[in-house]
Amino acid sequence: MKNLTHILPHFGALLGCLVFMSGAALAQEVKGAKPATTVAGVPKAINVSQEQLNKAAGDSTNWLHTNGDYAQTRYYPGKEINTGNVAKLRPTFVFQTEVLESMETAPIVVDGVMFLTTSFNHVHAIDAVTGKQFWHYKHKMGPVTTFCCGPNNRGVAISGGRLFMGTLDAKLLALDTKTGKLLWETQIADPEKGYSETMAPTVVDNKVLIGTNGGEYGVRGFVKAFDTASGKLLWTFYTIPEKGHEGVWAANDATGRNMKRDIAAEKKQFAKDSSFWQTLGGGVWMNPAVDLKSRSVIFVVGNPSPDLYGTERPGDNLYTNSMVAIDLDKGTYKWHSQYIAHDVWDLDAVSPVMLIDVKDKDGKMVPAAIHGGKTGHVYVHERATGKLIRFSEAMIPQENMWVLPTPQGARMLPGANGGVEWSPMAFNPETRLTYVLNLHQPMTYHVEAAKYPGGSKLWLGGAFKAIASEKQWGRLAAVNVDTGKVAWNYDTEQPLIGGALATAGGLVFFGEGNGNFNALDAKSGKRLWSFNCGAGANAMPVSYMVGKKQYIAMGCGGNTQLDFKRGNSMFVYALGD
Amino acid sequence: MPIRSLTGLIMGLALLFCCPAQAQDIEAGRKKAEACIACHGANGNSTNPQFPILAGQTARYTYLQLKDFQEGRRREPTMDPFVAKLSREDMLDLSAFFAAQRLRPPDFKVNEARARRGKAKAEETLCTMCHLGGFMGQNEIPRVAGQHYQYTVKQLKDFKAYRRTNDAGNMASVSKTLSERDIENLGHYLAGLR
Repeated sequence: MKNLTHILPHFGALLGCLVFMSGAALAQEVKGAKPATTVAGVPKAINVSQEQLNKAAGDSTNWLHTNGDYAQTRYYPGKEINTGNVAKLRPTFVFQTEVLESMETAPIVVDGVMFLTTSFNHVHAIDAVTGKQFWHYKHKMGPVTTFCCGPNNRGVAISGGRLFMGTLDAKLLALDTKTGKLLWETQIADPEKGYSETMAPTVVDNKVLIGTNGGEYGVRGFVKAFDTASGKLLWTFYTIPEKGHEGVWAANDATGRNMKRDIAAEKKQFAKDSSFWQTLGGGVWMNPAVDLKSRSVIFVVGNPSPDLYGTERPGDNLYTNSMVAIDLDKGTYKWHSQYIAHDVWDLDAVSPVMLIDVKDKDGKMVPAAIHGGKTGHVYVHERATGKLIRFSEAMIPQENMWVLPTPQGARMLPGANGGVEWSPMAFNPETRLTYVLNLHQPMTYHVEAAKYPGGSKLWLGGAFKAIASEKQWGRLAAVNVDTGKVAWNYDTEQPLIGGALATAGGLVFFGEGNGNFNALDAKSGKRLWSFNCGAGANAMPVSYMVGKKQYIAMGCGGNTQLDFKRGNSMFVYALGD
Repeated sequence: MPIRSLTGLIMGLALLFCCPAQAQDIEAGRKKAEACIACHGANGNSTNPQFPILAGQTARYTYLQLKDFQEGRRREPTMDPFVAKLSREDMLDLSAFFAAQRLRPPDFKVNEARARRGKAKAEETLCTMCHLGGFMGQNEIPRVAGQHYQYTVKQLKDFKAYRRTNDAGNMASVSKTLSERDIENLGHYLAGLR
C-alpha cells in the first residue's frame, strides 16, 4: 500500500515508562491521574422509544441507527446544509478520545447528546454541540481476544434508556444512557475460538441483534438476538446450516460467470468428510436491516474459512457470501441468495444490506434489498424472495475472474478487499442513486494447504499480496438502482473505506485515507466542499440537528486494514457565518 | 501504579501497542523467567541474535508458541527441556511478564538502502494487515519490530522451506514468493523499527 504512515518514532522512549504494566491494564486505561470515569452524567433523561426507532428515516433531529434507519439508507432528511451553502461548512468542535487507533464508529445522537465509540471499546457520551464530555465508559477487556483487521468498533445501538455494544472479547454490554453504568453483560461466544465483535448491534422490539467476526479463524457464524432488559439469549441463527451447506453445486457466480470449480472432486471429498461445517466461517460484520412489515431481518454473510484454501470444504459453503433473510421473532430461515459459491478469494459480502423500493424488470416499483459487493457490483434483490432483479455494471476494473489462487499467486481484479469492503452505501430517493465507496487494489491470490489450527490462529489458507507496480486508488460510484448503470464516479488517490451519507440537501459526504472529508453534489458528483481532518477519515458520517442548526459528524482515526494514518478524534461540522 | 504520572498521550499510544494480556501474574512470570535469561537475556532482551527478543512481544503470541513447543507443533530442540514441565499458568505468567518488558534495540547495523527495499516489499506483501502498522503485532500475531536480524531471516527461511509450520499456513504462503534477498532486506527493515 502506498503512503504507509509511521507514527511510532518515539515508541521506545514511551514504552520505557510502561515496563511494569500488564497488557490488560493498558488496554483499559486511557488517562493518567485524571479520573476519566468520574460520571457527571447526562444532564437529562435520554430515552428512545420503539416508535422513534421505527420512524427514524423521517427524523432530522436525531441519528438513531448506525445506518440511519432500519432500512439502512443513510439518508438524512434535513436540508439546512445544502448544495448552495455547503462551502461554508466549518468545524464546530473536535472531541479527542485519546485512543489512537482505527476509527470506524457511527455516532448515535439523541436530543443533542452524542454516543460514540473507539477501538478497544471505549464509549463516550458528549454534548453534540459543544463536545463537553458527560461520561466515559472503559470496557474491562477479558484476557483473550482474537480478531483480524484491527481492534475496531463501529458503534452502539440505543433503545429506551439503554445503549448496547459488542466487544472485542465477544461480549454484549448494556449501558445506562444517563450515567454510562454497566447494566448487564453477556458472553456472545468464545473469543478463544476466534469470535469477536466490532459491529454495532441493531435493536428492535426489545431484541438486540448482533452477528460476529471470525471468518478468518474458522468460527461458525451466526446472528443472535438478546433480550434488551436482561441480556438473555432469545434465538440464534447459524449462518452455516448443519445440513445442506453443500447447496446446489453452483458452477457460476450470481452474475453468470464460471468459477472454475472441480465439482466432481468436491463431491468426492464431500462424501469422505462433511463435518467441516463447525469451522466453515460465515461471519456477519455489519448491522442487519429490518423489514418491520414482513418481520424480516436481512443481512449478508461473509467468507468461508479458510479464506483461500477450498479443498477441504467442498460444496457451496452455504450461507457464506450470501444475502440471507430470517424471521425477526423466531430467527428462522426465510430465504438466501448466494453471490459466490465456494469462494476461494475472500470476495465476500460485508457492506450492510439496504432496503428500498426499485423498479423491477417491467418498470414496476417493488420492495427490494440491495448490497454493494466486494466484487464491485451492486446487487438488487426482490425483498420477498431474495431473487436477483439485477446487478449493476462493475464499479471498478475486473480482470481474470475467476482465476483460481495458486501457490505462487494468481493476479485477479478486484483485490481481496474489494470493490466494496464493510463500507455502508447511502441512497438518495430523488436522484435514485446509491453512493458506493470502492477500492481498487490489484492483488495476487495465493493458496496454501492448511488444517484448522484450533481457533487461536489466523487461518487464511494462503495470502493476498499487492502488486507493487500497479497503482491503487479509490472510487465513489453513484449507481442508479433502477437500471444498474453508473451515473458518475468520483475517483480518489487512495482506496476508499468508510461510510457514505446522503442528505436531502442534495449532498453526499464521505472521507478518504488522506484525511479529506468531502461533500459532493449528489446529482453531478462535483466536489463542493472538503476539509482535511489530519488523519484517515474512514469512519461513518452522520447528521443531526440541535435547535435549528444542522451538524455533520465524522470520525477521523484512520484505518488498520489499509494502514491509513491513525488519529483519535470525532469532528463535528456546522455552517459558519 | 506508575500509570498515574503518565500523560494521556502516552497511554493512548500504549493502547495501540498492547494487546490484552492473559489472566496472569507478571511478578510470578518474572521469577519463572529466570530460567530463560541464559539465552533470551535479562527481561527477554537477548543479546545473541540466534535467540529472539521476547521483551515487548504480544502475550498471546508467546503463550501460543510455548504451547506449540510443548505439544510439538513447533520444533526447536533447545526449547524442549524448558517447556517440558510448564503448566498453562506458567506459560500465561511468562507471556505476561515478557509482554510487559521494554524491548532494547539490538546492536545491529541496519543497511538503510536494504531496509528501504525491505519496506517496499513489506508494503507489497500487505504485512501490516496482520502485524499492524509499525509491526507491533496484535493478539496472536507477533511483534517483529526491532527483532534480531538473524532471527527474523531464519524464521522467514524456515517458513518458506516448511521447517516451521505452526503458522496455519499463512507465513508459508507469504514467504513463498520472497527471494533470499527479499528476506534479508525485510530483516534489515524490521530490525530498524522501534
